[in-house]
Amino acid sequence: MSVLYFLIPLGLVLLGLAVWAFFWAVGSGQFDDMDTPAWRVVMDDDRAPPARDEEKEDER
Amino acid sequence: MADTRHCFHCGLPVPAGLDLTARIDGEDRPMCCHGCKAVAELIGASGFDAYYRFRELPPGEAPAPPPGDDQHWRGFDDPETLPLFAATRADGRREAVLHVEGLYCSACSWLLENVLRRLPGVDEITVNTASSRLHVIWRTEDARFSAILGTIERLGYRPHPQSLTESFSPRHRERRQALKRLLVAGVGMMQVMMFAVALYAGAFQGIDPEMRSFLVWVSALVTTPVVFYAGRPFFQSAWRGLRSGRPGMDLPVSIAVGGAYAASLYAAVTGHGEVYFDSATMFVFFLSLGRFLEMSARHGATERSAAIGQLLPDTVRRIADGSDDGEEIIAVARLRAGDRFVLRPGERVPADARILNGRASVDESLITGESEPVPRAAGDEVTAGSINLDGALTLAAERVGQDTMLASISRLLERAQAERPAVAVLADRVASWFVVAVLAIAATVGTAWWWIEPGVAFPAALAVLVVTCPCALSLATPAALAAANTALADRGILVTRSRALEGLAEFDRIVFDKTGTLTRGRPELERVLPLSEEIDAGRCLTIAARLESGSEHTLARAFPRLGNSGNSGDSGNTPADLRPVPGRGIEGTVDGERYRIGSAEFVGEAASAALARIETVAASTVVFLGDANGRVLAAFELRDALRDDAAEVVRTLRDAGIATAIASGDRSRTVQAIAGRLGIDDARGGLRAEDKLAWVRQLQAAGEKVALVGDGINDAPVLAGADVSIAMGAGTTLAQSSADAVLLGDSLGPLLEAVELSRRTRRIIRQNIGWAIGYNVLAVPLAASGMLAPWMAAIGMSASSLLVVLNALRLRRGGATAGVRRTPVETARAPSPGVLEASP
Repeated sequence: MSVLYFLIPLGLVLLGLAVWAFFWAVGSGQFDDMDTPAWRVVMDDDRAPPARDEEKEDER
Repeated sequence: MADTRHCFHCGLPVPAGLDLTARIDGEDRPMCCHGCKAVAELIGASGFDAYYRFRELPPGEAPAPPPGDDQHWRGFDDPETLPLFAATRADGRREAVLHVEGLYCSACSWLLENVLRRLPGVDEITVNTASSRLHVIWRTEDARFSAILGTIERLGYRPHPQSLTESFSPRHRERRQALKRLLVAGVGMMQVMMFAVALYAGAFQGIDPEMRSFLVWVSALVTTPVVFYAGRPFFQSAWRGLRSGRPGMDLPVSIAVGGAYAASLYAAVTGHGEVYFDSATMFVFFLSLGRFLEMSARHGATERSAAIGQLLPDTVRRIADGSDDGEEIIAVARLRAGDRFVLRPGERVPADARILNGRASVDESLITGESEPVPRAAGDEVTAGSINLDGALTLAAERVGQDTMLASISRLLERAQAERPAVAVLADRVASWFVVAVLAIAATVGTAWWWIEPGVAFPAALAVLVVTCPCALSLATPAALAAANTALADRGILVTRSRALEGLAEFDRIVFDKTGTLTRGRPELERVLPLSEEIDAGRCLTIAARLESGSEHTLARAFPRLGNSGNSGDSGNTPADLRPVPGRGIEGTVDGERYRIGSAEFVGEAASAALARIETVAASTVVFLGDANGRVLAAFELRDALRDDAAEVVRTLRDAGIATAIASGDRSRTVQAIAGRLGIDDARGGLRAEDKLAWVRQLQAAGEKVALVGDGINDAPVLAGADVSIAMGAGTTLAQSSADAVLLGDSLGPLLEAVELSRRTRRIIRQNIGWAIGYNVLAVPLAASGMLAPWMAAIGMSASSLLVVLNALRLRRGGATAGVRRTPVETARAPSPGVLEASP
């Protein structure tokens, strides 16, 4: 059972990381809109890269 | 590679051997994949073909943004104006938030994002469909703000730059903050529960004292941020309540959370006694969840009901000081009282102003709700938000920005909206004595046990506190309301005030405000009556359509638009010499002959005589077409068409035992005719806003609960006076904000669903409150008698609140029939009419 003395603190560290990641995600506005991203996948046109990446376009 | 075909949609080469096409603008175009095909067809079907016409598409290159004139937006590039709307980022780039009118679905956001991204200098672009907001970051050296705005406009949308104070709103911060707190409470609760299970199991099966103490301390560690970070709003609100002498629901919550935490910490330090970290975290999480759901619903409602800025134009042609003809286009934010400016036909008045020169018909429906345009001439005042329909005006601004009548009305509405819903007020009142009672019982139990058996005193008092935690009670209503709001939003009904659900569940009379609620609010051509031998109905219609093609008048919209008329085979343009006579009609030359269209007096005496002869259907307007010699060629009968489902809604409501009525400002004859067609019991016409309100009050005095369906801003006081008010989404934006609920679509059908759902909500709230009270009545004596260990109380309390939440969530599931929910296709098509109108 003594492994718990190691595993529980480890779990708490991971928990802390998860919370930090979530705070970052909230702060960068990823949760501001819960509707559009779900549709963006369906409406996709992102294979055509923005105009300033023209070189990449040519590679294809 | 020269003969490689390129996808018409995305510009990538079509893989060899693939033969996919989509029909766009009447031609079959090659497509590189099924995804592109689907999107292209969707765009075609939604009337977005213009997108393909706009863009230039050399094979292999991404679509370029449509070229065009950004003159109109130049004012925003001004170094004085730009900082009002665009923030400078740390890296020197600019960022701005725009409210985009006409942005309804993800197809729109797709179009905007993809076209704008191709604009040189534009780095990032995010479109939020839910709030119609567009966030853009650009490099000032490569792109101009006016170019971005112009591009959006040419795609058929209307951009409204948001001033900086508006765009980074406190609402956003509040939501982000609440999300963080919710997450901390959630993960904290899960962890602590896990440790608690181990501790409970240990209590029964035996546990190493060291391990027990370790688990207790770990629980304490995790609980601390949950209580002090996630639970902070409860403590703050409790403290505010205490200071103002009105202890709210948050006080017992705070005492229970704080007490459980303190007692557990004490137990952890002394090494014996129960710990209640699990109860504390669970408590905080469930309460935060309930409040978060409620907040989301509230924010969704306010974001949709658009800000006042949307109703005003963004730019204005100011007459430069000291000269009479030098016009410059500036942002409305820079217009000052006393400035003179020019208004062309079709433009909105940007400020309360006095006309210096010119005459025009002005559509003041935004302020008055009156759809008939009003003639205005030099010396008259016009209010911000009205539309100049047909004349060129020179005006002097009198009140600008926050001083305009429109702004003050909107402030009034905001204040009304900020008031707390009746349920919450009641809950707070109940809570005040509930709190006192809980504290008194806990104190009595503690004291009593102190005399009988001191060892039991603290656990028993705590058990009472925990068990009576108004957790279930405080969740009972908000959880049900939030679930109902979400369910309603799925059906196209936005609840802006909690009282809407109460009201919708129990009104017994529904009063419609005629214009725009039962009818479509725009005239449709009922029939054409040729009055001359020489000319047939089709030809008359063509002439009329060409004369009306240059007009923004509501009546003009009833005539077929040029290019769409089809049957008469004309390809005519708008006549060059159109002369609108404000309030009367239009005169112009079609195919070399001079014609007049308009009221009988305008067209000539013969028309007035004809008007007396024609037997018209009640509630219609007659427009005449005549030539320059006073000959009358035809009469057009226009009538406001009924909404498709109006009759069904009225019938269903009547069947449910609800009295129906119309209270309208329109002529009695018109109102009677509509009531007759729909089978409405009581119809009153010619009412002013005060009369409507008086009538509603009178009905209420007679003991009736009145629901009001309205659309104009002049309804605002009546909407507020009714027991529950519903606005049509297509109606005036401000009226939406003053109503308790808004129907987002253009049909009345959702009203029936709203009524049904509110009745279910009321039932579920009653069940929840009944359960919560019953549970407390049962548990308090048990806890007081010392038979209930605090951990049992905690489990009971959690189970009770969970039950309440689950019961409330039934509202979201049950009845969400597939047929009712808006399908993606419908949603995607929604923007087409608006876009078509705006497209060149």
